[in-house]
Order: sequence, then C-alpha cells, then structure tokens
Amino acid sequence: MKIAVAIKQVPERDAPVRIAPSANWIEERELQWAMNEPDAYALEEALLLKEQAGSEVIVVSAGPERVGSTIREALAKGADRAIHILCDDLNGRDALGVARLLAAVIKQENPDLVLTGLQSEDVGLGQTGVIVAELLGLPHATMILRVEKTDAGLRVKRELEEGWFQSIELPTPAVLTMQSGGNKLRYATLMGIKRAKTKELRTVTAAELGADSAPTVVLEQIAAPKKQKSTQMLPGSAKEAAAALVEKLKTEARVL
Amino acid sequence: MIILLPNLAEPQHFSTFESGLFAALAAASIWAFWRRFGPIFSKILQSKKDPGFQLFPIGRRVRDFVWEVMCQAKVIRERPLVGVAHALVFWAFCAFALVTLNHCATIFGLGFLDPAGRFGRVFFYVAALFAAACAVAIFGLFLRRFVARPKWLGAVSWESGLIALLIFALMVTYLAAFFVPGASTAARLLWWAHTITLLAFLPLIPHTKHLHLILSPFTIFLSRGGFAEIPPLVGDEDFGLVTGKDLTQLISLQTYSCVECGRCMEDCPANNTGKLLNPKEIVLGLRGYLNEYGPHSEEPLLSKYNSQEAAFECTTCGACEFQCPVGIEHVPIIVGLRRGAVNTGAWQDDQGAKLFLALERGSNALGMSAAERDKFIEKNALPLFDGTQEYCLWLGCMGAYDPRGREIVVALVRVMRFLGASFGVMRKERCTGDPVRRLGNDLLFQQLAEANLEALAQSETKKIISICPHCVRTIQEDWKAYGTPPEVEHHSEFLARYASQLPPVRDREKIVFHDPCYLGRYRGVYEEPRKVAALAGDVVEAPRSHERSFCCGAGGGLVFLGEEKGERVSHVRAEELAATGASVVGTACPFCNTMFRDAFADAFAAKGEGAPELMDIAQLAARGLPE
Repeated sequence: MKIAVAIKQVPERDAPVRIAPSANWIEERELQWAMNEPDAYALEEALLLKEQAGSEVIVVSAGPERVGSTIREALAKGADRAIHILCDDLNGRDALGVARLLAAVIKQENPDLVLTGLQSEDVGLGQTGVIVAELLGLPHATMILRVEKTDAGLRVKRELEEGWFQSIELPTPAVLTMQSGGNKLRYATLMGIKRAKTKELRTVTAAELGADSAPTVVLEQIAAPKKQKSTQMLPGSAKEAAAALVEKLKTEARVL
Repeated sequence: MIILLPNLAEPQHFSTFESGLFAALAAASIWAFWRRFGPIFSKILQSKKDPGFQLFPIGRRVRDFVWEVMCQAKVIRERPLVGVAHALVFWAFCAFALVTLNHCATIFGLGFLDPAGRFGRVFFYVAALFAAACAVAIFGLFLRRFVARPKWLGAVSWESGLIALLIFALMVTYLAAFFVPGASTAARLLWWAHTITLLAFLPLIPHTKHLHLILSPFTIFLSRGGFAEIPPLVGDEDFGLVTGKDLTQLISLQTYSCVECGRCMEDCPANNTGKLLNPKEIVLGLRGYLNEYGPHSEEPLLSKYNSQEAAFECTTCGACEFQCPVGIEHVPIIVGLRRGAVNTGAWQDDQGAKLFLALERGSNALGMSAAERDKFIEKNALPLFDGTQEYCLWLGCMGAYDPRGREIVVALVRVMRFLGASFGVMRKERCTGDPVRRLGNDLLFQQLAEANLEALAQSETKKIISICPHCVRTIQEDWKAYGTPPEVEHHSEFLARYASQLPPVRDREKIVFHDPCYLGRYRGVYEEPRKVAALAGDVVEAPRSHERSFCCGAGGGLVFLGEEKGERVSHVRAEELAATGASVVGTACPFCNTMFRDAFADAFAAKGEGAPELMDIAQLAARGLPE
C-alpha cells in the first residue's frame, strides 16, 4: 500500500503569537514552528499501517523553506520520502488554493490512501483534506481515530459527539482526515534524524504544478480574542458546592 | 635489638630435580593464568576506542592513583573498618612483591636478599610486620564474609573463601620461616608450601573477582575523571550503548574490574526500595555479555544480561559511582544503555514519550503553556535580563511553572532585592534538557541546549543563578558538548556568600537538611546550604547525609515517569528525615521539595499528625527579612 500524508507546519503551541502590522496575519519572525498535531496523528497512523502491512509512506507539505524542518521530522519518525511544495504565500491561499497544491502532487503519486489531520492548529478551517478528496475524485471520511486494512478496502473508526463512535467501511483509494488522540505519538530519535538525511526529499514549486489560482476567500483581518473572566460563587455547604461544581464542569465547561 | 631476633630461614641448596619441578609448576601456573586472562585482556583491547581519550594531563591520573590505589583512601573512607583491613592486605601484597621475587629466585641460586645481610634482615622484618597484619586482616574479612555476611556481598562465594585461605597460608608460611633453623627440612617444606600456595593463587586471580588485583589500578589510572560525566557521541553511527560494538575499552576494563563488593548497592535508591535495578548487576551483566558474545557482537546489550526495565529505574543519583573503589563509572554506563534504547526508538514508555513530545513541541518539561511563565514574571514584577544586570536568574521549569518552585523563586528574589543584587530573567527559556539528557534522548537534548545557548549568547549573559541543582549541572557540564555556557551557580552558594548580611530568625527551629544529589555528589556543595539553613535554626543531620545522602527519587527524569515497583523512594527518604524529629525539612532543590511534599501528604495524612514543614533554603533565608 502506498500512503500519502499531507502535513502542515504551524506555530509551536506555546509560541507568543503577535498580529503583524498588516493585521491580516501574525508576525512570523521569532516564532518557533512545529508539526500540526492532527497531522502528526495522521503520520502516526500511516507509520502503524506501514509497520503492519509494509506500506510506503510519502509526506507532502506546502510552505516556505522553514517547512523543511517539519518534513525532516516526519522522515525521522519513519516516512520513506517527502515532497516539499515550495511556496511563500501559503497563508494568502484559501483552503481550495492549498488543496489544489496538495492534490496536484498527490495525483502524480497515485496513492492507495491519503491521510491528513482534520484541521490545522493555526487557522482551523477543517476543509483542506475534504477538498483534496473532491479534487482527486476519491471517497473520504472525516474525524477518524483508527484505520484498519481489510480485504475489500478499509474499516475506520470515526468519532461522533458525546462519546459515540461510528464504524465505516470504504474502498481504496480514499482520503481520511484524522482526529487527534487515536494513537500514541512516537518521539523523534537521533537514529531517525541521521537516517532521514539519506531519504529522498523532492522540492516542487506551485508554478511547476500549474496549481496557481487567485483565492476565492480572502482573510481580511485577524484579532486577539477579548479577555473574559466570569467568576461564579457556588453557595451552600462544601458538599453541595462540590456537587454543583462537578455539574458545571460537566455541562458548562465540558471538561469532565 | 635486631641481633636478638631470628633470621628468615631459607633452604641453602636446591637439587636439579627441585629446580626443574619448580620451573614446570611455575610454567603450568602461568599458563593457567594466561589461558583465562589472555582472552579477557584481548576483549578489553578489541573493544571500541574511547573517543576523545587523552592520557595527558597526567597529573590528575597520578594523583588519583596515589590516593585511591596506593593510599586506599576511597576504600577506607567509605567503609573504615573493612577498608583498613583491605588496605593491610593490599600493602602486604606490595611489600611482598620483592620478597616473592627473591623467593622464586632462590631456587636457581639467584636470591638477591640475604636473610643475614643488613638490608635483607630489615626488609624481611618489615615484610613480616605487614604479613602479620595481613593475616589478621584477611581472617577478619573471612569472618565478615562467612559469618557476618552483609547483604551487599550477595550469595556465599566459596572461591572467596579459598582465596582468603591461600592468602592466609602465604602469610603464615612466610612468618613460620622465622622460627625454624636455616638448613632444616622444615625450612625446605615451608619454602615449598609457600611456593605451591603462590602458584595456586596466580591462576585463581583471573577466574575470580580477584581480577581486580590486576585491573583496578589501571581502571583508576585511566578513568575519564569527573563525576557521572556523559561522554559525547561521535560520528553518524553512535547512538549510545546499543550492542557489544559500542562498549569502549574503558567500559570493558571497568566491567572486568568489578570486585562485587556491593558498595554501589548500599545507597542505591532503586535497589533499596524493591526495584529490579542493581548497579552491581548492571556491571556484571555487561561482563557476562562480553564473556558470551565479545566486543564485536551485534547482539543487543539490553536483552539476556541486562534489562531495559532496570536501566530506566536509575535516578542517576550517583551513590554507586561515588562509592565504587575500583573506578567504575556506573552513571555513564546506565545513561549509555538508555541512550542506546531511546536514540534508536527501542524504549517505548507512555510517560517518557509524553515528556519527549512536550519538549519537542513546547518549552518546558511540565507541558505547560509558556504564557504561564510570562504571567508569573509579570505578577511578581521580575525584571527582564538586558545584559546590564549582574545575574541572569534562571527560573527553570520548576521555578517558572510549579507553584512550590515559584515560591522558592519569589523567596530568593526577596533576598536578592534585600541584598541589592541586580538580576533579570530571560524573556524566554527552554528546559535545560536535564531530564532528556539523563533519559538518553540526545536529539532533544541537543536542540534544547543549542536553543538556550543561542538565547543566552544573544543576551550577553555572563553569570547565571538558579534554584535548581539539575539546571546548574546541565548548564555547566552537559551544555559544553554544544558550546560555551556562561558561569553558573546554585542559589545556596550565592546565599552562603552573603549569609552574614542577612538577619537571622528569632524563633529558631530544628532543621534537618537533605543533600540533593546534584548539589552534593555532583557539585561537592555541602556546607553552603547548611550555613544558609543555620540562619533560621539549628541544623541536625539525617542518618544518611552529605555524600552518602539518599536520593528523593526524582532525578534522571524519573520524576516524569511512573514509579511502579516496590516502595516509593521519596516516601522512604521523607520518613527518614521526619524521624530526626526536626520541625523543618530544609531542601535546596525544587524536585526534592515536590517529592517530599507528596510523600508527607501521603504519610502524615494517614497518621493524622502534622508533617514537618518543608522549606527551601531560600525560604529559610527570607524568613528573617523585614516584611
């Protein structure tokens, strides 16, 4: 089986994000970058399938030079080769524009399975993977926690609301967008990084792919969320207050 | 006076048959010795060369050799009574070198020490004194091994009994020769008894742990120096200790030098709380591996002879290495085995992976958002370091994110402000890499060390002060692999320097100070924190203190893993500290602090009693400050 994994590089989770003077994007200087977490789970699922069934895992990522570090991380963790779509205007593209880049490269590879995260941690549109499926004319499923290879194709576990799951069977080739948390991520190793140096990393440009297009959706402005603090005092005895707190944590904060 | 004493009796003439017999026996003895020692010797030589090994400067080596081998200082210091007994045996052996050479030479008529001559007489008497002391000492050691039987020595070893007997016989046959006439049959019989004992002793050496007799002087002389120093990885194929091919000459030499005395187990936190890890067995495991597979094998080191579980139970407290009398460096070996497992991805541990991912994707080992650190800095109005202040106050993960660690930082800041010391904190800090360094993740450690070194160089930091002995050690020693770190000191050193300027506390308490491993054994700082603690009360000592301090259980990255087996290390130590009756437990490491806090909460909540107060020395120093 040949698996393509589409990965995005996003600002590191606890990086101090500041809005750029243009007001339609963040200040990228001094930021540290990391692999988009749902994409890391997509890669992990691909690597597990590779370990079980001996697949080839190809990583595809679009973005400027700096994306190379995330691609090397993916190779270090076990991907076989990578394609870097070099473009400096990634954040100027809408989801369709990015999906066109990815689809153009993936089409050349003709994989049996395309995996990507269900959304990115920076803009979080959640559309790119689905549009790629549409552009490739492949069936797709979203919010997938686990993928199983069957004789007919794939059986996948899909997350629904409120702790419900759905099991779906679909033929290959297919596109799946992965939810975080289905597996345990592996850590990058020194041996992986050293071995990654000898792996193939091909670079293509948007122009070479013929996938340039004017965006149909334009990001006009971004703003920091307004800080909100609301304190509630829970009346009654410690026991009653604790019960009320648990109820609120469950129903209002939804952290339990 | 000397005239009145009897002379050593030596047979005057030997027959050709006797000389021939001696030559044949000696040849057989040497052959039996070499048949065993030869392969060991070649295994050591054929092991990988130690990268970066340099014989010079040789001064340190000579000093270590004289102090640890000739003077037996470490052997005696750590176990005085047994140590002196051992030293007497060792010194007798040294004195006997010339006696034995002369003894063997006499059979060919080549004896060079005349029992009646002036030098010969004096020398033989001196040797006799050593022989008498040695006979008593070896008898005492025999009683210890077979009657007292401390658990460190493991199962009863009959070969040790045999060796003791042979040594005793060697001494007795020598001493007895003073009391028989020179040309008598008795003198001849004693000569032969002494000779046969000697020739039986020689081949036993490489077959038993008495191999240390030959190897350990070299092990100590050739040691890399420093304490618990982790060697650099060299080249693209070095991932730590993965297979036999990764064992270096010094490691092989060390494994064969082990004398199995078990001192390494004495204060080992893992071994004392029912874990699988036994530092002695780690070393003997490598010896077993070398014996079976040899230094060119591709068989994994963590399989038949050593287990991954044991390797990852080490807190890197260094109690083993600190005590080892034959120069074995346990910590680099154990960390080396971990490196081999982590750098190749063989180690799979949920909590370990969680720590690694937290540091791959974020800045701190606790997995918190860096914004939390910014909030703490803002709330306490900590100035940012801009290159003009004297100290860069390194917060560390515990100081920046842990509520208790923050209290320590705040207390230190109060004292620094009182003293008028100028300081600032980094705008952004990453974990120094201590836990991943000790867990063997070299990739992550390099990334963290390089990012921090670059940030510190940009801010032109000259001097760092930190509340965490782990940060201090990692910055000062481990970062060296990737650059030149700034000068760094632990807050106990700073506070002790200014202790006379700090107002002492009125209501004095009884304080027991717990020596953190990374401050004591690793840095040699023992008195400074006590001097600071003494500002707030009378310092008493725990049963295990100073260099024999018992670990809190947090080091080596273990605070981030689950402690699954046996008793909890922190609980054992916390109870020991509480049992001193002190009202305050003084600490100097945020990790010790957090470990004991949990232990006290567990132990004393169950009993319904009040636990001793847990205070960092910075908090004790701040107690006397005006509000």
